[in-house]
Amino acid sequence: MQKKGGDVIGWLSRYATILFLLLLVIGFSFARPEVFATQLNLLNVLNQASILLIISSGLTVCLVMGLFDLSIASMATLGGYLVCKLLVDQGENPHLWLTLTGVLIFAGAVGVLNGLLVSYLGISAFIETLAMGSIITGAILGFSQSRTILGGIPESFLVLGQQATLGIPNPVIIMVMVALVLWVMLEHTQNGRNLYAIGGNMEAARLSGIPVKRYALLALGISAACAALGGIVAAANLGAGRPQGVGDTYLLNAFAAVFIGASTLRPGQFHIFGTFIGVLMIGVISNGLSIMGVETYWQYIVQGVLLIFAMFGAGMVVMRRK
Amino acid sequence: MELRQQLGAAFSDAGGAAPLLEVKEITKDFPGQRALDQVSMTLRRGEIHALLGENGAGKSTLIKIITGVYHATAGQILVDGQVVHFNHPHAAQAAGIAVVHQHGNLVPSLTVQENLMLGERLPRRVGVFIHWGAVRERARRLLQRVGLSIDPTALVSALRPDEIAMVSIAKAIATDAKIIILDEPTTALLPDEVATLFAQMRRLASDGHGFLYVSHRLSEVFAIADRATVLRDGKHVWACADRSGLRRDDVVAAIVGKEKELATVEGAPPSQVLGAELLAVTELSSARVNEVSFTLKVGEIVGLAGLPGSGAEETLNLIYGRDAQSGGTIAVSGVIARFSSPRAAVAAGLALVPKERLAEAAMPGFSVRENVSLPSLTRFITDPILRVIKRGKERALVQHVVARLNVKTVSLESKIESLSGGNQQKAILARWLGTNAKIYLLNSPTAAVDVGAKTEIYRLLKDIAAAGAAVLFTSTEVEEFPRLCNRVLVFRAGRVVAELHGSDVTEAQILRLAVGVEEQQKVA
Repeated sequence: MQKKGGDVIGWLSRYATILFLLLLVIGFSFARPEVFATQLNLLNVLNQASILLIISSGLTVCLVMGLFDLSIASMATLGGYLVCKLLVDQGENPHLWLTLTGVLIFAGAVGVLNGLLVSYLGISAFIETLAMGSIITGAILGFSQSRTILGGIPESFLVLGQQATLGIPNPVIIMVMVALVLWVMLEHTQNGRNLYAIGGNMEAARLSGIPVKRYALLALGISAACAALGGIVAAANLGAGRPQGVGDTYLLNAFAAVFIGASTLRPGQFHIFGTFIGVLMIGVISNGLSIMGVETYWQYIVQGVLLIFAMFGAGMVVMRRK
Repeated sequence: MELRQQLGAAFSDAGGAAPLLEVKEITKDFPGQRALDQVSMTLRRGEIHALLGENGAGKSTLIKIITGVYHATAGQILVDGQVVHFNHPHAAQAAGIAVVHQHGNLVPSLTVQENLMLGERLPRRVGVFIHWGAVRERARRLLQRVGLSIDPTALVSALRPDEIAMVSIAKAIATDAKIIILDEPTTALLPDEVATLFAQMRRLASDGHGFLYVSHRLSEVFAIADRATVLRDGKHVWACADRSGLRRDDVVAAIVGKEKELATVEGAPPSQVLGAELLAVTELSSARVNEVSFTLKVGEIVGLAGLPGSGAEETLNLIYGRDAQSGGTIAVSGVIARFSSPRAAVAAGLALVPKERLAEAAMPGFSVRENVSLPSLTRFITDPILRVIKRGKERALVQHVVARLNVKTVSLESKIESLSGGNQQKAILARWLGTNAKIYLLNSPTAAVDVGAKTEIYRLLKDIAAAGAAVLFTSTEVEEFPRLCNRVLVFRAGRVVAELHGSDVTEAQILRLAVGVEEQQKVA
């Protein structure tokens, strides 16, 4: 039906990111086979990518319905710090699972508050979450008096970030669980379909009887809870509850991963599998470049260039549709 | 003053001066369709010339050719007696032709003076800094010429609609336009504002500008136009030599077309045995709808007719919970309902096919299946908590309704935008068969749909009504009412002014009532 040139562009816009990821893996494997292509290192890549995927998956849900969540950085910091603080305060034999659940619910509630402000006061999500991020950052700094929690964190908590179960690092297990649950939700449930509908055409969704405003609460709530969970795993991995800067490294990377995902397989659409590819790509690049001994600053540059290319690929298809 | 104006116009013509604009036997072919067929017309200096016709008659195409957006397949355009060839809108602009669109061509967030000088090189100091004093001075002069006494530094978003229309005209004058094309400029205007606009247009015309005026509001056309040209189905069907030839009955007959009027009587739907009352609307009111009452029975197709802004479309939106209701009641199957959102209306068995298919109905980038099943997903979920969709059941239902409405698509997984306009619209309609909706609200369902698909959509709507539902229908194309409706309520200024039944439902009758002929005659 379509012109041949169009088919090539269409194919590339779907598979270029996956192809590029494979090329990266093959390239690094040939360059440093004894270091990169080992089971240990590949597990390490996954382990490093896990926190990013946990955060990015939540962000994907938001972007599916067209909302930007910029509070994920501070939300991750909040999650990590708060869990450490609460566990340390409980002294011996802390209620680990109760604490974790409580913090996740609290983070989710802040996300729901974001949703309320965005939906019912009509503030743009971009600005509202930026503002909320600032408030959270300030609150943690004040509450912690800028002191990092180092000692007294129970071993049972650190296991989450540092140990493995059946040879698979625990963060990877958590990552798989989060991604799987959100994948099922977005792809196979009515809530997911409605989120896509809202992102696809908000007015059409509203006229089809979907309570558009309420879905902002769900999406921003999920995003906040996922960011907090990412921060918790990061704190367990680090063995410290830092009151600042934990999430900041993940903010740009999470957006990069999700947008790379939107130019994978389903151009112009955000989806969990795409986000997974995006996260792997970022993980492989940073791991591969460090193994090659390339300086850190290059990693930033490469990531930026990559993101621009991915956007260009997705944009081509959208432009062709018009 | 009007007399002098006409004398002036007549004089300049008699004096042998070439008309401002002359369109000679313009033909425009689109693939598979002739949009314009040897259309000719002239615009004299100092004249306000109405260009009339129904939607799809070819007015927009003609304007686009005059302004260089489209290329004519054949024919000539002359400006001041010189043959011109516009291959770009800039060329038309340079030749002194400007268009003022329905929604204006101003940037609301900029000031009046910035808008007036948009795209021009602004006066500067030292070649760098904008000389705002000079800008303001030039803006003031332009505003003076259109008789507008507003602050040039005011934001356009803060202006009244008539002021915005006048600023658009001032902008046209800023580019030295002699020929100003006004495309439905009064849609958003109140009667007083229309009067102001017309007074200024008249003044500018006496300065030698020529206006080509496109409007659906016939009463306004008769108030302002010197002459008129009527297009129908891409052909020039009527024109008058001067103002005395501008008679309402002739114009309406020309717009509607005699043969069509006959055909519609034949094609009028037979009155049916009607079922129980599905919808009862009593004294429904809102900001733009005034105490509207009617009922709708099973099997009925009722039309809400009226000019844009008359309340017909607004009533549909109001019933569906899109707009806020200020008074009155809506009863569905005898039960009083108050829909604060479309969600409540959908739950009560209502369905809306909105006017703008792309902006309000279709989800581009998503499959036909996802587009069709959207409002009925609740029927296929495993449980009310996890809400996992049973794909098989979803597919089966979509398959069923798509087949019933004869939606032509390669597969259910094809993207909605790969379908033709008519099939997209059928898919949107199919959406509501899935929810078992009882009351269908349709707003111009055949807009931008080809002729074959139109007929098919009419048939489907009749089938839907016959299968135990009811249809409320409105359209910007008046000819559709006689083809589809058993009964038509005619709206004017937010009220129902008449109810037509059976063979009384004709295009001419609806138009007369919608425009308000009797009032017009009183004035004359």
